[in-house]
Amino acid sequence: MHDNVVFNNKVLPYFLLAPQLVITLVFFIWPAGQALYQSFLIEDAFGFSREFVWLDNFIYLFSDDEYWNSIRVTFVFSGLVAFSGMAVALLLAAMADRVIKGATTYKTLLIWPYAVAPVVAAVIWWLMFNPSIGILAFLSWTLGHQWNHYVNANEAMAVVVIASAWKQISYNFIFFLAGMQAIPRSLIEAAAIDGSGPFKRFWQIVFPLLSPIAFFLLVVNVVYAFFETFGVIHATTLGGPGNATRTLVYKVYEDGFVGLDMGSSAAQSVILMILVITLTIIQFKFIERKVQY
Amino acid sequence: MIENRPWLTAVRHLVLILGIIVIGLPIWIALVASTNTSASFVSGVMPMWFGEEGLNNFRRVLTNEGRVLGVGVSASWMMWNSFIMAMVIAIGKITISILSAFAIVYFRFPFRRTCFWMIFITLMLPVEVRILPTYEVVASLGMLNSYAGLTIPLIASATATFLFRQFFLSIPDSLAEAARIDGAGPMKFFKDILLPLSVNNIAALFVILFIYGWNQYLWPLLITTDENYYTIVMVIKRLMTAGEGNVPWNIIMTTTVLAMLPPVVVVLVMQKFFVRGLVEQEK
Amino acid sequence: MATVSLRNIKKTYSNGFKAIHNLNLEIEDGEMIVLVGPSGCGKSTSLRMVAGLEATSEGDLYIGDKRVNDLEPSERDIAMVFQNYALYPHMSVARNMGYGLKNQGLPRDEIRRKVEKAARVLEIEHLLDNKPKQLSGGQRQRVAMGRAIVRNPKVFLFDEPLSNLDAKLRVQMRIEIKRLQQEFATTAIYVTHDQVEAMTLADRLVVMNGGKVEQVGPPLDLYEKPETQFVAGFLGSPGMNFMPARIQGQALLVQGDHRIDLPDMAELAQWDGRDITFGVRPEHLEACSEAEADFHLKVDIIEPLGADTLLYGHLPGSDSLMIAEQPGKRRYTRGDVVPLRVDRERLHLFDAETEQRLNE
Ligand SMILES: Nc1ncnc2c1ncn2[C@@H]1O[C@H](COP(=O)(O)OP(=O)(O)OP(=O)(O)O)[C@@H](O)[C@H]1O
Ligand SMILES: [Mg+2]
Repeated sequence: MHDNVVFNNKVLPYFLLAPQLVITLVFFIWPAGQALYQSFLIEDAFGFSREFVWLDNFIYLFSDDEYWNSIRVTFVFSGLVAFSGMAVALLLAAMADRVIKGATTYKTLLIWPYAVAPVVAAVIWWLMFNPSIGILAFLSWTLGHQWNHYVNANEAMAVVVIASAWKQISYNFIFFLAGMQAIPRSLIEAAAIDGSGPFKRFWQIVFPLLSPIAFFLLVVNVVYAFFETFGVIHATTLGGPGNATRTLVYKVYEDGFVGLDMGSSAAQSVILMILVITLTIIQFKFIERKVQY
Repeated sequence: MIENRPWLTAVRHLVLILGIIVIGLPIWIALVASTNTSASFVSGVMPMWFGEEGLNNFRRVLTNEGRVLGVGVSASWMMWNSFIMAMVIAIGKITISILSAFAIVYFRFPFRRTCFWMIFITLMLPVEVRILPTYEVVASLGMLNSYAGLTIPLIASATATFLFRQFFLSIPDSLAEAARIDGAGPMKFFKDILLPLSVNNIAALFVILFIYGWNQYLWPLLITTDENYYTIVMVIKRLMTAGEGNVPWNIIMTTTVLAMLPPVVVVLVMQKFFVRGLVEQEK
Repeated sequence: MATVSLRNIKKTYSNGFKAIHNLNLEIEDGEMIVLVGPSGCGKSTSLRMVAGLEATSEGDLYIGDKRVNDLEPSERDIAMVFQNYALYPHMSVARNMGYGLKNQGLPRDEIRRKVEKAARVLEIEHLLDNKPKQLSGGQRQRVAMGRAIVRNPKVFLFDEPLSNLDAKLRVQMRIEIKRLQQEFATTAIYVTHDQVEAMTLADRLVVMNGGKVEQVGPPLDLYEKPETQFVAGFLGSPGMNFMPARIQGQALLVQGDHRIDLPDMAELAQWDGRDITFGVRPEHLEACSEAEADFHLKVDIIEPLGADTLLYGHLPGSDSLMIAEQPGKRRYTRGDVVPLRVDRERLHLFDAETEQRLNE
């Protein structure tokens, strides 16, 4: 019944909200409107002429193979990042859930990558896979494979996926572990009394109870892979080789800032916004089931 | 412990230790590389053990001795820029979010819902998806190459507002009522009661937002052309492309270590707050 | 010290819900008024309007001779004790108690003095430096009381202050509250839905139902002469037995065929043949000889409480429940048929339609 607690001031709340609202308006809503507007225009690179072209930018995009390639790359990339990051984290959390000795130490040693910038992670992994000097490339060579992410599309994808997922492991780990520790002991004890072994217990009891968290993490990881990994690509593959790692966000940047194709970049932004909004709504349906609005 | 199976416990520890090694490998590589000479990266396999050049590398990078970074400013200066950016973003976000949440929860006023939704929208629009128009707005406001431009556009935060809102909603109404009877007006209630009760949430958010601010990459890349505003995270990429063919890996990794250090320290020192703060997001 | 007057108070919530229909109440100086009623009847709403936490939709509210409708809670010179205590979790007991005084701008040593004095009265001096989290429920309750009395207000307001305590502590604190209120002789409004609390604490009791006042008066008056069937049923535990009846001459026909001769009543004639509700409290049904019996109770369940025994049963040929309270020394077994006689001085007749009391 929060309806009761009300301070009666009429003006004060607007003052309290003003900074947030002003920033939101100026730096979020205005640019978003701008993007929408520009997505209907074609402009020459110098801004001398502009023409209102309705959906031409969008039609052009969707008839462009490169754009479809970007979409495919983004989905493959995000899927791999989300899946591998979550799988490793789940395994580690399942192991850490029950250890008694050294639990805190393990936790501490597993969570610090959260603090590392994606671009920093990418640069280090890039070095480790460096075809001529990298330790992992060397390992692959001893196993009889010549690693070269400069020419091999799959290998380039592998490096950016590993670097991006690596950074997310700690985040996923924290959530999985918290989720497991919130499961009432009695539930697991009851299953143990029914005679199911530890593996069976995990799949039949712990895992289903974790599924809401897993779903939440899936969305978070996909959003992360979509939008926060620009630095990973930009510092390493630059979208290459060929177009093998040119994700949607990277392409927006390239077309806008390098190609100076405003209309197309704006149209891509609009598509991305629709995508994020969809993802966020899904996420919110989950997080804020309790929201009264 | 439900049952005692020694082999299971052993497997657990084994997997965890393996995990830590895999997860820790990159930092090992970075640390090792930062102590070696650039010559050790020219051919053969990269060094896997510490060299003698550590102090030298860090000194050169921190002071930008002989323009080792290929730009006009030193790593220490760029770390300072990163620090300012991280602090302003963290403190700014916390401040405006806690005030908004306070307004939304404790007042009733026309357009409350509209405001709520407007803030909600910011959650949906990460900088990355509206790069160009945001850049144009910032440019037209004359905020390129300034601390204001680096920070203010990133300060609005729906996530933090939601966290505070959730927290405020969990505080019993009667506390505010008791304060009203005790003669506390809204700002006094905020200062004397809400703020002290929020310290844990603030600390948790601070960690998360500090990291967020420190690790910004795309935004500083776009709006800074003046080297004086470069941040440590964004300069790494420049180093990669600087010396074509002969990449100065020892210098890059030294810079990398410096770029990781502050946020990692913050996470480790404030681990407890940070973990709780993160997990709260999902609630 | 002050009187409190509620004149034609109405409350409609923003969602259109009418919580209080028309409340009129004159509270005397130093009087302890208890509001009781079932959940949702508007007790808290009324109290909160007096406190100023809720705006009145209509009507006038006076504390002393000042109209306070438009004053902030802090300007009304009241103090309130909440059900969940509402102690500030991050402040020590002393700071909790002194916060209101501090906001009034009193000097620190004066605050300290007043807080210590109040703490002494409540025997919580040794807790002054503790945080609320470190206290037991009873101690928190005392601190909440302390916060109210330090300010020496004109009116104490209590909203179910004891309902979070266990039964034993509740009795103890009830007595404590009574003692304090008498000692300070401060006007008090106390909300509860526990009728024992209501009966024991009140100088006057206000029974509310569905946003309306059913009856106001000293507890025993209400107990003995409930004006409405609702009040009759609400006060007393176990509750009053009600049965449909009809007046026929000088007698009452209960449930068709149980005949009860009524004492001489002038009004009887005018109700002849009318449908009414007959009520009698369990303790006013006495076991008697066959010859005197008004009812025969077939016992289904027996609850021996020591001092008394409660008999739950039904009248043969009917399935409506009836409860009788008997002295504890006699033993009963299930299936007994007990002849009972209604205490003629203490029976209640209500109009079947309006549920208003009929007999004197
Ligand atoms: N803010 C509000 N908005 C709408 N209706 C409300 C609000 N607060 C209370 N009500 C309604 O007003 C009626 C009276 O509420 P009130 O809290 O006064 O009841 P109460 O007698 O104190 O009950 P309880 O014994 O459960 O505390 C209830 O039906 C309640 O649902
Ligand atoms: Mg109530």
